[in-house]
Amino acid sequence: MNSAFFVQLGLSAAAVGALVALTAWAKIAKPAAPLDEHRARALLAEEFPTRRIDAVWVATDGAGAMAKSGALALVICQVGDGFAARQIPWGQAISATFRNGKLIVDLADVAAPRATISLPAWPPKDLAA
Amino acid sequence: MMKAAFDPVTLATPFFILTVILEIVLARFRVADARYETKDTAVSLGMGLGSTIAGILTGGLIFAATVWVYQHRLFTIPMTAIWAWVAIFLLEDMTYYWFHRISHERRFWWVSHVNHHSSQHYNLSTALRQTWTGGVNGSWLLWLPLAWLGFPPAMIAIQKGISLVYQYWIHTEAIKKLPRGFEAVFNTPSHHRVHHARNPIYLDRNYAGILIVWDRLFGTFQPELDEEPCRYGLVKNLATFNIVRVAFHEWIGMAGDVVRHPRHALGYLFGPPGWSHDGSRETSHAIKARWAAAPSAAPVEREAA
Repeated sequence: MNSAFFVQLGLSAAAVGALVALTAWAKIAKPAAPLDEHRARALLAEEFPTRRIDAVWVATDGAGAMAKSGALALVICQVGDGFAARQIPWGQAISATFRNGKLIVDLADVAAPRATISLPAWPPKDLAA
Repeated sequence: MMKAAFDPVTLATPFFILTVILEIVLARFRVADARYETKDTAVSLGMGLGSTIAGILTGGLIFAATVWVYQHRLFTIPMTAIWAWVAIFLLEDMTYYWFHRISHERRFWWVSHVNHHSSQHYNLSTALRQTWTGGVNGSWLLWLPLAWLGFPPAMIAIQKGISLVYQYWIHTEAIKKLPRGFEAVFNTPSHHRVHHARNPIYLDRNYAGILIVWDRLFGTFQPELDEEPCRYGLVKNLATFNIVRVAFHEWIGMAGDVVRHPRHALGYLFGPPGWSHDGSRETSHAIKARWAAAPSAAPVEREAA
């Protein structure tokens, strides 16, 4: 390593900062409408094609959804202008922290540590068992 | 550090920056089809910057190994001969095909390469989303036979750089299809969009570096289909923009599987991504098979054949 390398590295870091700022200015993310039940079910079908959906709860801000599929909870959460999906045991979803209208679900995955879903109430009384 | 006097990647760096700016600005004014999300772009560019630093840490070992093998070469191939450049172009590109295929089809190498595929976007910044751990898992060993044949280490490094620079510009949605003759021979934005897509029909396809002919030859070619728009990212997309998690999540996942199931360690290390000892997960092969068996898949599959 020599000084030229560090100059190049410094310039590259500055360029990264400038490009990120340019991206923020451009506002050219994917146009994603908030989830409604229809869209949430379509996403669930795409992500979990073999799972039967028993019930769906869509986030009040449309930025996620939770579904029950037998003994599993299927979780969809917004990531930037896209979505990520994971499945966890239903019992884990039921016992997730619910505070100030936000359900914080531990997804137990290093690539998807947690999902935050805005819901009016949790757990659902009729499916809590 | 393995650097040739002529380093195509270093020379191309200003071109990388300018073309990302161009793609963003053209998309902003709706002249080009491109989508950028701020955090996603930050991660992609941060991974690119980090990979240059990570490369230094392992570059010395790789260079020393290449020189050592070259000292035990079969032939002495001159860097000044045109035939030698034609030969290394073809041999390096085929080596890249197999490196890339192994990087997708075996988890031990996928843990590094997954980084490049972890964006849900496909734009020029995605090209720069490079692994930090590529030097760790030994995939560079695949290039050593070129040194053993007698290609000088500098020549190998230059050709690898040319390949990397070529693969940069194909990471875009702004360029649709190119003339048929070009699409038939070369890797193109269209072919590589397929490679980055998570649609079942597109999984584990189009591994080419520069020449798409390797995919046609080895049975992994899949054209982009108008009726099947590419959905980018991973089968299980990341739910974080934490760059450390992005860089190491699959390493941690693999290590966790090995520790939890030591009797099945070989499967978790060298099986395909998604392999599990109890069949509780799905490999690309299983996803494709399930998709192909679904009634709605049939028309698309027919046209792809």
